[in-house]
Amino acid sequence: MCAVSLDSSRTSQRALRPPKFAQITFNLLLLATSFVILVPLIWAISSSFKGPDELYQAVPSLIPFQPTLANYEYMFEHLASFPIYMTNSFIVAFGTVFLVVLLSSLAGYAFARMEFRGRDLIFVFLILLLFVPRSGGLMALYELMAFLHLRNSLVGLILLFSAGLSTPVFIMRQTYLSMPRELEDAARIDGAGWLDVFRYVAVPLGIAGMVVVAIFTFVGVWGDFLVTLTMIDQDRWLTISVGIRKLLTTGTVSPFFAGSQFTGKFATYGTDCALLLTSALPAVVIYIALQRWFVRGLTEGILKL
Amino acid sequence: MADLSHAQPDRTGTLRQFAREYRAARRQRWGNLWGYAFIAPALTLYLIFNVWPIFRGLAMAFTDYRYLVPGSEWAWNGASNYQEMFTNDSQFWPSFGISVQYTLMSFPTNLILSLAVALLISRIRNSFLAGTYRVIAYLPVILPISVALLLWNQLYNTQFGYFNLILQNVFGVQSPPNWLGDPGWALPSVAVAGLWKDFGANTLLFLVGIYGISREIYEAASIDGAGALQQIWSITLPLLRPIFVLIIVLNAGILGATEQALIMTNGGPQNATLTLGLYIYQQAFQFGDLRLGYAAAMSLLLGLIHMGLAGITFRVLRTERI
Repeated sequence: MCAVSLDSSRTSQRALRPPKFAQITFNLLLLATSFVILVPLIWAISSSFKGPDELYQAVPSLIPFQPTLANYEYMFEHLASFPIYMTNSFIVAFGTVFLVVLLSSLAGYAFARMEFRGRDLIFVFLILLLFVPRSGGLMALYELMAFLHLRNSLVGLILLFSAGLSTPVFIMRQTYLSMPRELEDAARIDGAGWLDVFRYVAVPLGIAGMVVVAIFTFVGVWGDFLVTLTMIDQDRWLTISVGIRKLLTTGTVSPFFAGSQFTGKFATYGTDCALLLTSALPAVVIYIALQRWFVRGLTEGILKL
Repeated sequence: MADLSHAQPDRTGTLRQFAREYRAARRQRWGNLWGYAFIAPALTLYLIFNVWPIFRGLAMAFTDYRYLVPGSEWAWNGASNYQEMFTNDSQFWPSFGISVQYTLMSFPTNLILSLAVALLISRIRNSFLAGTYRVIAYLPVILPISVALLLWNQLYNTQFGYFNLILQNVFGVQSPPNWLGDPGWALPSVAVAGLWKDFGANTLLFLVGIYGISREIYEAASIDGAGALQQIWSITLPLLRPIFVLIIVLNAGILGATEQALIMTNGGPQNATLTLGLYIYQQAFQFGDLRLGYAAAMSLLLGLIHMGLAGITFRVLRTERI
């Protein structure tokens, strides 16, 4: 028997040896659950590739037999607002991510590695409000943004979203607390100022934490609905999260007509599905590509709480 | 302060020496001034957009601020917002009831479902499969909320929605329910959609907690003859208590759910899904004088309930010794 095994699961597996039967059952259950979870998405994906003939058949199948790109073509050619909304979403999302990563790294580093009066008090203050729900909610924000002339502007949205710094600062501080001091000390001894230390030592070492912050921020901002809806009422500046409602229905939201109207012979609920999926795509892509960091970020955030 | 008791008259730069020592002493008290520079941008943004609105909202709840009535920003009216809310508002209590119903429909189910899935996933040996299940479970959480809910609107559609088509043509159900148009079905339908969207987050939180429990405890219990179910009951659940607390605290805001009602049914049919959150939103931004003050009052009430629930959770689940 090997003395030390990093793969602890295998050694304890041999010790416990659950019946293979159990594994199969669990997997089957989870497969069924996964299928149930994914059915809406599978249906949407397949509908988006179906033409009008297949879409309105009596018994819908989850696999399109005559796949077509007609819905996507329609989406790109006929809906002028769609690229506008997507662009706005990208600008706000990337802008916010940049600002949040920058600000939270600076602050996180300072809280972790610098000594200054009131440091811990201020940190607690920053984190505390995470647990105090917004009592005035959107109302006070609305007044504030109107006062600052930041309504109906992407910059305003970026600033507003970037202010949600409790979690990012917490994560960055954790990251920097567990960073070895030798490199910084060496840099300081060599006479580097704090800004240089930050730029050349803290930033490279803190990349992992920054990725986690970036992911969470991007996904959160991309999907924000209520705040954007309140702050923006000019069509020009809407993000896709809010704008998609306008693209799907004829302006007013009504449960009876939620879905698509026949605006031309090519707009069907398949088009709607294509729209919905494309709107969600950036967030999903980022999540799946960087999935490893998601779980790690959550783990570090929560187990250290 | 610098110790000046031994200062000697110095021909060269007494004042400079003193200034230097003074600065050094003051710097020691304040520490690394760069620290303040580093936190300043973050703190500023935070103070402006996070802290101020909390206080302003608090104040607003006791005014009769109507956005369309100029000059009413600080029109104090004491507790009359609350008086009106509790006694004179025909929609407040129904909406409150709807919100409570919604919470009762989704939250317990959410907890049980996400715990079950988390337990299942944690038992999977193959790490690739486990990872895949995790990704799938969390996927609905990643979707923008409008996309997720509008997708469910499509599913619920009576003419071409997947559910009704399957019910009618595969199971032969004559008249499948009008999921979003029937006042009796509307709220549960919305709750299911919301559940689909949200349960993955709790699953992941539970998983994080379960992964944090050391295997040795389970091994020891196994050796002592404890079966799998008993292990879950006696080991996993108690050790997950902090996660339970976290989840309840994070989810308590579901009482103020707004988007689900707004996006899917806009409160209809016949106000069957007019949750309190949506009602507040309507009062503030859609109807009448845009009564921000009144809405803030209702919002404050929700916030206090939220904090109350969180506080109760802390007390009940924390003080017991494992």
